[in-house]
Amino acid sequence: MEIIELADLALKEALKLGATDVSSICVKTNGNLIRFSNNSITVSKNIKNLELFLYLAKDKKRIMGSSSNPNIEEIKKFTSNLIKACEALSPSPDYTPLPRIETQYLSHGFYDQKLAGDEIDLVEFVEGAIDASLRAGANRVAGSLMTSEENLAILTSGNATGQDKRTKILLNVRAFSGDASGHGLSCSSNLKNFNPYEAGKEAGEYAKASINPNPWEEGVYDLITLPTVTADIIQHVGSFASAFAVDSGLSFLADKINQKVSVNDFTLRDYGVIEGGFDGRGFDDEGFPTRENVIIEEGVLKTYLHNSTTAKKFGTSSTGNAGIIDPHPWNLVVDPGSMSIDDMIREVKKGVMVTNNWYTRFQNLRTGEYSTIPRDAAFLIENGKIKHPVVGLRISDSLPRQLANITAISKERRWIKWWEVSVPTLAPSMLIKSVVITKALG
Amino acid sequence: MLLSVIDLAQRLGAEYAETRLHRTKQLGCLLRNGVPEPALIGDAYGIGIRVIHSGALAFSATNDLSKENVKNMVEKAVKRARASSPLLRHRVLLSEEKSIKADWKSEEKKSVDNVDFDDLFGLLKDIDNLIKDGKNDVSFPNRLLASSILLEEKIYINSNGTMMKSRVPRVGFSSYITTFYKGKITTITIPSGYSQLGGSGGWEAIERLEIFDYVEKEAENLSLAVKSEQKPPKEIVDVILGPQVSGIIAHESAGHPGEADRILGREAAQAGESYLKPNDLGIKIGSKEAHVSDDPTIPHSNGFYLYDDEGVPARKRKLIDAGIIREFLHNRATAYEFKISSNGSSRATSYDREPIVRMANTFVEPGDYSLDELFEDVKLGVYIKSFMEWNIDDKRLNQRYVGLEAYLIERGEMKGTVKKPVLEITTPRLWSSVDARGKEVEFLGATCGKGDPIQGIPVWTGGPNMRLRAIRLGER
Repeated sequence: MEIIELADLALKEALKLGATDVSSICVKTNGNLIRFSNNSITVSKNIKNLELFLYLAKDKKRIMGSSSNPNIEEIKKFTSNLIKACEALSPSPDYTPLPRIETQYLSHGFYDQKLAGDEIDLVEFVEGAIDASLRAGANRVAGSLMTSEENLAILTSGNATGQDKRTKILLNVRAFSGDASGHGLSCSSNLKNFNPYEAGKEAGEYAKASINPNPWEEGVYDLITLPTVTADIIQHVGSFASAFAVDSGLSFLADKINQKVSVNDFTLRDYGVIEGGFDGRGFDDEGFPTRENVIIEEGVLKTYLHNSTTAKKFGTSSTGNAGIIDPHPWNLVVDPGSMSIDDMIREVKKGVMVTNNWYTRFQNLRTGEYSTIPRDAAFLIENGKIKHPVVGLRISDSLPRQLANITAISKERRWIKWWEVSVPTLAPSMLIKSVVITKALG
Repeated sequence: MLLSVIDLAQRLGAEYAETRLHRTKQLGCLLRNGVPEPALIGDAYGIGIRVIHSGALAFSATNDLSKENVKNMVEKAVKRARASSPLLRHRVLLSEEKSIKADWKSEEKKSVDNVDFDDLFGLLKDIDNLIKDGKNDVSFPNRLLASSILLEEKIYINSNGTMMKSRVPRVGFSSYITTFYKGKITTITIPSGYSQLGGSGGWEAIERLEIFDYVEKEAENLSLAVKSEQKPPKEIVDVILGPQVSGIIAHESAGHPGEADRILGREAAQAGESYLKPNDLGIKIGSKEAHVSDDPTIPHSNGFYLYDDEGVPARKRKLIDAGIIREFLHNRATAYEFKISSNGSSRATSYDREPIVRMANTFVEPGDYSLDELFEDVKLGVYIKSFMEWNIDDKRLNQRYVGLEAYLIERGEMKGTVKKPVLEITTPRLWSSVDARGKEVEFLGATCGKGDPIQGIPVWTGGPNMRLRAIRLGER
């Protein structure tokens, strides 16, 4: 059976059993992945799945379920069990009917036949990335290259009918030169915009440039975040914009609508579908059409991200970002600025430039106090020039303070998605003044 | 079906094959300010297949268990392994291990099969009732409580003759709470540090974990902690770390760097490497009081197992013994590289994840001090009982833990609370500063992330109160 037929069967079965609201999503995925380290392939993977996700409500009682590889009989059993479990729940005062859908969904071009199926030669790309890294000065290279094809169908009791198919290719390269390391990545929904050689070269060049780090002192620095770091910061801002997080008291953006939360030059948008982006789709998990949402416009917080339930609570309409429980961003985009990286470096008297980071953790979600660790190439900047590489830094600051202290945004942006950045983000480089950088007691 | 997978892989020329039917069933509940969020039922069931062909490793997984599809997945795995050969500079070989036949499970007095949403939501409502009115003039206007059941069932066989069946149920609780006191808003978690109360076993685990007492006591203590405005001392002080903090340190600063796949560079691109090199067994990393172990066999633990996902018997591993790096965590591939037997550290979270080297229950071993004795000769110090923010670099050298519940110690006595003391310290300095450990070990549940695609695996982190000498703390 086709996935739309499976979704339809689950929808009809649930309605037949008395559900008042049903969102039925069936997803078929095929993914290929090569992991490599020490210039050698370590494992090659293929994962092929079919899954059914069902949300249903009956008498204001709500439940969600997922089922593996459903066939006709299993769908009937699964739906019946879900209804029974739902009937035993307590009604929720937060229950909100699924939206009635009258509009067509935006289409997108996140699909490339060349990335579908299993025939593409990933080994060749891995080899290209490793060679480019080695030529750029690395002596060993690790990474992963993933392609995937996803076909998805949604049907809801609110009349939503949608199908989506997309592909993606993601390469993450980490190059080493002695103890120094550099990171490069390339991600795209199509083969045309995928560049493994550039990602490998970038990683190798950073590794070479960060050999022989010099001492530095902890203190307050102006910080240049290259796109990978910007994307990590921004994905957290995007998640804090979830109305569920706000309503749960877990966001520094709470009570800030129409208030200044950043500088005039900073605008953050979210798109379900955007040209050049990936991972988004034309509808959310409630079947509501996705769209462009301006989260922060010229420094002012304009909206939270909503599903129907949070929208009703906040007295507004859905923004097309459901998650049944927790709304989430699809593709985050920071508007470009006017500077080049070189311009930014020239602006800095005492600063550091960070190429990537990991392990972002918050002390207080309501104040946005957090720290994160630059993990590959990082450089000290003095009097407008890169002075030398540095290691062992920790950015120890807060998101609201950093958003308020952005002094420059680059005109160049790139799409970022990797292990640390789960929300695809079109990120520029940013110059943030007066950031606390700490180091460990040795 | 599983035998036919092995048979086909071998007929296609694989020198090694294994397959795992793996089911993870989940029930999850969220209660927000006393109101239920949609309940969750998850059921993931499928097959994972690993083959080694000409020294190349491949992994295939699917939840389509039709004969034709499974056959196709085996063929694809072998084909992919073969296709790796142009870029295979290092052959994957496995340590020799005894084949086993085993059917094992964790103790389960009240079967999780009989647990329903009434039980899970009922638990959360009872907990919410304990804390909803706040404590000590601190209100808790937002309370997000979560409870879960996770049942793992596996059938595993490999081409070395091992056959194994297992069942491990787990229960878990976690929470996010927003506290409000005189205009100051702080988010906390119970347990602290975004961790969980959890363990393996049936529904009786809820009683064993003493969740109600634990949450009420934590809510009481943390309500006092969030009022604190006292900065930590600027001078060099002694620091006593509570079990929650020593536990996360054991995991991050001793467990992760001791994973042999990191040491060999296999995780370099994402989860990272280690400050330890393959020939670092026997080096000194800490004082004689630094003792860290990992033990999957602890009954009722979150990371409980008796055989790993390569069919190797589990056993306790001493990672740091009196300050000396004593043992790494191994699967069969890393064990081969080190010319030893595997110590059974290979685990996968789901049928569609490859087994990789993982911690189980990593903890600082107990010492022989009471808490009073640890405090006794501290002239000026800070007791960091719990934490929120933490992180560590990918070589596991540079780490930070920021206190949540913390107290000033003066002349051996606990004085008032201290606000957000920051312990930011290198791994050798940390373990070298340990001079005493408490008698009682406490454990918390956690989900540890590693691998690509990422795998969040259930573990325990644990430890006793642990004293560090001569530390300079930072502040937030």
